[in-house]
Amino acid sequence: MMPTTLISGARRGAWLALVATGLLAGCGDFNITDPNNPTLDDLVKNPTKAKLAVAATGLFIGARSDATDVIWRYGSLGREGANLAGNNQPDYQEPFFGPLSTTQFGAAVWSGRYQNLRSLNTYLNAVPRAPDLSAEERAASIGFARTLKALAFLPLVAGRGALGAPVDVDRPLKATPAPFVSEDSVYGYIIGELDAARDSLAAGGSAFPFRMPPGFAGFDTPAGLILVNRALAAKAWVFRATATPSCAGTCYANALLALSQSFISGNPADFRVGAYFDYSNKPGDILNELSETLDGTTYFAFNNTIDDAQLQPGGAVDQRALDKLAFIDSNDTTVTYTLSGFPVAPNRKFAVYFTGGQPDQNASIPIIRDEELVLLRAEANIGLSNYAAAIPDLDLVRVNAGGLPATTLTAGSPASAFIDELLYNRRYSLLWEQGARWVDARRYGRLSGIPALVPNGAVPSRMPIPADECAARKLGTSCNPLGT
Amino acid sequence: MRHRWFVPVLILILTLASLPASVHAQQRVLTGAVNRSEDGAPLSDAVVTLAGRSAGAKTDGRGRFTLVLPDGPARIVVRAIGYKRQNVPIGADQAEVTITMIQDVFNLEEVVITGQATEMEQRNSTTSTAVVDGQDISQVQAQSLDRALQGRIAGANIQTNSGAPGAGVQVQIRGPHTIIGNAEPLIVVDGVIYSNATIPSGLSSVTGSSSNLARADAQDDGTNRLADLNPNDIESIEVLKSAAAGSIYGSKAANGVVIIHTKRGTAGQVHANLSQRVGFSSLLRGPGFRVFDTTQAFALFDSNLVRSYLVNGQLPAYDHLQALAGDKPLSYESQLDVSGGGEKTRFFASGSWKRDNGIIGNTGAQRQTLRANITQQLTRTLTMDLTTAFARNANDKGFTNNDNSGASVTYALAYIPSFLPLKRANGIYPQPEIGYFGANPLQTAALATNNETAIRFTGGGRLSWNTWTGERQSLRFVAAGGADFVNQKNKIIAPPELTFEQTLPNPGTITLGAADGRNLNWNLNAIHSYTPESQGFRLTTSLGVQYEDRQLSRNRITATGILPGQTSVSQGAVVSNPIEERSSERTLAFYAAEEALALSERLSLVGSVRGERSSVLGDPSKYWFYPRLAGAYRFPGLLGTGSEFKLRLAYGQTGNQPLFGQKFTSLVGGQTYGGGGGVTVSTIAGLAGIKPERVKEWEGGVDAEFFGGRTSFQLTLARNITSDLLLSRTPSASSGFTAEFLNGGHMRNVSLELAAGFVPIQSRDFRWVARTTFTHLRNTVLDLPVPGYRPSTAGFGLAFGEFFIEPGRSATQIIGTVGYDSLGNPITKVLGDANPDFQLTLANDFNWKNLSVSMLWAWQQGGVAQNQTLSLYDCNQLSPDQGTAAGQARANACLQDGVATPFVQSTTFLKLRELSLVWSLPSRWVHRLFAGADNARIGLTGRNLLVFTDYFGYDPESSNFGSQSITRNIDLGPYPPSRNFSLNVSVGF
Repeated sequence: MMPTTLISGARRGAWLALVATGLLAGCGDFNITDPNNPTLDDLVKNPTKAKLAVAATGLFIGARSDATDVIWRYGSLGREGANLAGNNQPDYQEPFFGPLSTTQFGAAVWSGRYQNLRSLNTYLNAVPRAPDLSAEERAASIGFARTLKALAFLPLVAGRGALGAPVDVDRPLKATPAPFVSEDSVYGYIIGELDAARDSLAAGGSAFPFRMPPGFAGFDTPAGLILVNRALAAKAWVFRATATPSCAGTCYANALLALSQSFISGNPADFRVGAYFDYSNKPGDILNELSETLDGTTYFAFNNTIDDAQLQPGGAVDQRALDKLAFIDSNDTTVTYTLSGFPVAPNRKFAVYFTGGQPDQNASIPIIRDEELVLLRAEANIGLSNYAAAIPDLDLVRVNAGGLPATTLTAGSPASAFIDELLYNRRYSLLWEQGARWVDARRYGRLSGIPALVPNGAVPSRMPIPADECAARKLGTSCNPLGT
Repeated sequence: MRHRWFVPVLILILTLASLPASVHAQQRVLTGAVNRSEDGAPLSDAVVTLAGRSAGAKTDGRGRFTLVLPDGPARIVVRAIGYKRQNVPIGADQAEVTITMIQDVFNLEEVVITGQATEMEQRNSTTSTAVVDGQDISQVQAQSLDRALQGRIAGANIQTNSGAPGAGVQVQIRGPHTIIGNAEPLIVVDGVIYSNATIPSGLSSVTGSSSNLARADAQDDGTNRLADLNPNDIESIEVLKSAAAGSIYGSKAANGVVIIHTKRGTAGQVHANLSQRVGFSSLLRGPGFRVFDTTQAFALFDSNLVRSYLVNGQLPAYDHLQALAGDKPLSYESQLDVSGGGEKTRFFASGSWKRDNGIIGNTGAQRQTLRANITQQLTRTLTMDLTTAFARNANDKGFTNNDNSGASVTYALAYIPSFLPLKRANGIYPQPEIGYFGANPLQTAALATNNETAIRFTGGGRLSWNTWTGERQSLRFVAAGGADFVNQKNKIIAPPELTFEQTLPNPGTITLGAADGRNLNWNLNAIHSYTPESQGFRLTTSLGVQYEDRQLSRNRITATGILPGQTSVSQGAVVSNPIEERSSERTLAFYAAEEALALSERLSLVGSVRGERSSVLGDPSKYWFYPRLAGAYRFPGLLGTGSEFKLRLAYGQTGNQPLFGQKFTSLVGGQTYGGGGGVTVSTIAGLAGIKPERVKEWEGGVDAEFFGGRTSFQLTLARNITSDLLLSRTPSASSGFTAEFLNGGHMRNVSLELAAGFVPIQSRDFRWVARTTFTHLRNTVLDLPVPGYRPSTAGFGLAFGEFFIEPGRSATQIIGTVGYDSLGNPITKVLGDANPDFQLTLANDFNWKNLSVSMLWAWQQGGVAQNQTLSLYDCNQLSPDQGTAAGQARANACLQDGVATPFVQSTTFLKLRELSLVWSLPSRWVHRLFAGADNARIGLTGRNLLVFTDYFGYDPESSNFGSQSITRNIDLGPYPPSRNFSLNVSVGF
């Protein structure tokens, strides 16, 4: 016979197990899902049309996230203006005196773009699994998201130039970081996405299965978005041409082809037609912080925009300079703005995002618009030495936007004169919209033409790779993975 | 017929309940009385057992007991809480005995818990235990229990976050065990897991302390909800410091466990106790102010402006801090408790009301509590305990701490020169022309509201069934459960009249917040004990299951552009920042423990394992195991007759659960675009497979008691290592994430703790008891799977000093800029460690006849804090010593050199934390003064009376970011500390 203690111990265990099992029935569910936020996991595993529609709106939010950074940061580097906000010394120190740090000023226009790429790739992975999307809706959704992917890369590579960028980023967090590819390959990737997107959009039926925002009015169907898609493709081809001179012939020809399939109009009244980022004071939305009141203390314009402007027949400066800058009351001497001791005077502000002459923080910011397309067509023609074809487009902008007389250039003028004229018009037409002056100066090797404006100043040539990107690759806090 | 209980469960229960106790043929009856040595009064609830047996009798209200003894000579053991055990031989013919119990000054006879429902006498205990008597913590008024524990527990670093009424308190036991995980010990009150959550008030909505919600919330100086417990209701507190002792609580115990028992009634006469306290507080210390002459003022400020402040050609010097916090407000507390009971029912009921006003106008804390504890003997074998407690806890903390908008009064004060008048004149508070966002701190204190009201209900029940008690075996079942509900409401009002609000586009801000928490837990235990015929050892086996369900939700909304005079959040122009957050967590655990007491109770061994699963972990169905093995050996009489000497060694593991939500990767909502809502992928990647942090600890020590119980000594050396630390890593930016959670790395704490007690004088009329605790701790980060990093609440830039976590160094080190190289890059250096070199406390109690005097001194040596209050004063050149070379050097450090060295200051201090003088009135006076009363006491007490330190400003103990594992010791405009005095009268009926 077994000792009683052993037997009773075993029975007691069984007894307890029984009671415990009964009590366990009273326990709640252990698979607790996130009660506070939707989760990425759920979107990927159980996508529906409704969830994806919200995610699609989020893709616009992501695309817009650093749009103003591109403008004022690249604009500071191109001496369009400066951000003098009190505490943020790196913002007005680095672009004017260099070098660009990899953690402060120079770290911008990177993470936000890749964050949206994470959202875009998540969306693209989820779309095919949504049971309530039709085949056309899926195609439309995919075409839309791939267009936005291209848009995410465009300003990023425009700022980094030959440093290149990682593109194959749809990989698990545990995987090694995506490799850097050359500037040409980034443009190649952008164009590849845009072309694939166009094909999807073409199969995308007549409407998107989500709400298109007001800034895409006129382009809010799959067919309409193709027009924007081609405009972006034209820009990518033109920029690729300057990055890779050997591509010039093909690139510019492809740019012209893309432009012909875009929304380019050639009518000055349509110069502002295009796709825009929206801002509003509605709950949950953000304001266009670039639209500052005249007594605002953040963004200031430099005088050189006036000084460098050509004159209209009446003697006034280029109408674009007049329209896009606003005077601060010069009698107000209480505040003097200085850039590390260098006074910014007379004080000017930007009126680019004013409505009816007044600051308007609901003002939209252009993604791409007709006036830029006309100049891209001119640039492609100049690149192909079709000067005669370029002159009407240059004049279209000069005369109608700038109020200037027609150009004196002829088909026999030297290429450099055409480039001068092109860049002048891009500077004034796109002022405080995308940092065109600085980006173009690098594209055409004319950075030395941008004055430092401050004693011992410098004009950095490109944005660096952020420290977090280098560190995760064990390359220290400053790196150039391609050695360019 | 004991074997009958092998048949099915229900029959078993019924059968066993009806089983008669086994009665032996040969027996006799002993009757006796138990008295207290101090006054000869009968002692109720003393337990009398036959030596070697666990079952016995309890004395009644008259101190009487009856015990059945076997024939022949016997030995009985008498035990009572607060008294030393007595081992009394009983002659073969003896039928009556009287036993006198001697007070146990050092609580050496206290029982300490070893499991959910098992306990052991402290002399056999295998781990270092700290037991604090309720009387010790209620003697001198404290705002909350954790404050009252300051300086009483070796190995625990208890620190207040600020001097505000209702300010948070943090308890850290044996060093930090986590970097970003939960840093709070587990609190268990009468078996119910008690929420000690700190729910942020939303003060950041007016101070703008940070744009990051988590960092902003941390700077609200929140109240941790232990404050809802009335210290006067507490019988005893036991702190489980070691991982071995805490392992029974598994993944909640990494930061230690605080087990609180509230008072129970004792059988016998019903006693009532009425006590009343009245007192006041006053400013303890502050930064002082700079007195300007005109030359100095002209050098710093616009001369025309300075001239406008001249009074009779001189610049006045106003003490703004005195104007702000110079009040000596009254505080009151009333408590009534009644306890007593008969053979079957015993009860303790209490009610209290208190109000502590703060030294800044319109601040204060009040609390009302009600408690009823009932113990009912249902049958001879079945006992039921019920505890219920209600509390309402309200406080007004004012606006303090870090600030970016002018709201914080102590922050703004550092910007205003002493020659500017701030006091209200002609009904108007002047807006300072030199200052911070135009804020007038006196106006803010007068008009702003930061109110918090919490309603708390805690209830628990425990059913104990002595299923069967035999000669050699016994079996007991204990089922316990409880619920803890808390509801907190916060209201922040910054009316539009405030001068700093006037600088905003929409002046006037109101934030309304509410939160409610619910903790449910239950456990079921079976305890079997076995003693063989030889009586050579005793084995106790316990098996149990425990379940916990915790829920917390909070919501908040802010409105700006408030209409003048309005206090409703609906009276704003713009409503913003809606927040709703919920967390939910469930844990289920099974455990098994074996305890052995052998070799005449000299050797004790404890082994246990707990297996648990939790919903917050990556795999909610996976079980995680937390084992323990501990042993101790006593050498009675080694240091003289009656002395005790014990060696102990313990190994155990505990865990720390990740925070709720760390396993999820969210999509961030609350954003709109073009009029529609959208989500973006969060920039923080959750860890789907997240694991608990694990603490493994070895602890060894020596306990001794000698000189006839007049000296006690407990020395403990502990070494714990946390593995699988919860960490956050920065992945490549092109991954689309800026942070990712992961488990990894190791961090070590080595701690040396000493608790000693000595009775230098003990005579009939005079007794002097001295107690001391000593704690030394060293923390080292052993390795990290991520590069060294700056925690999110590390500080305010290297030029002011910041925490930095890196392998090979203490996790609490503070580094800072000490200079710049030729390229202008900062050179950083370690400027100190927030963790002090040691903490030493000394408590002395003197009793002379009816008079007793006690004092508690605390000495902290070393340690540093980021004194950003100092940097504020220095950067503004407003420190009182600015005119001297030292003062100028600090101003230069901020304004020219950008170095942190002067702002990382030593926190060495000596504080007289408590002083009390209590006089027990002679009974003839009692009868004359209070009709019907039995006893009365009058006491004069004080807290925080003296501080000796070189630290600048307010208090070397302050934490701008509230309770933090690592980044404590950041001082940035805290609520000023105060001294408290009170007069207590207590009358017993």
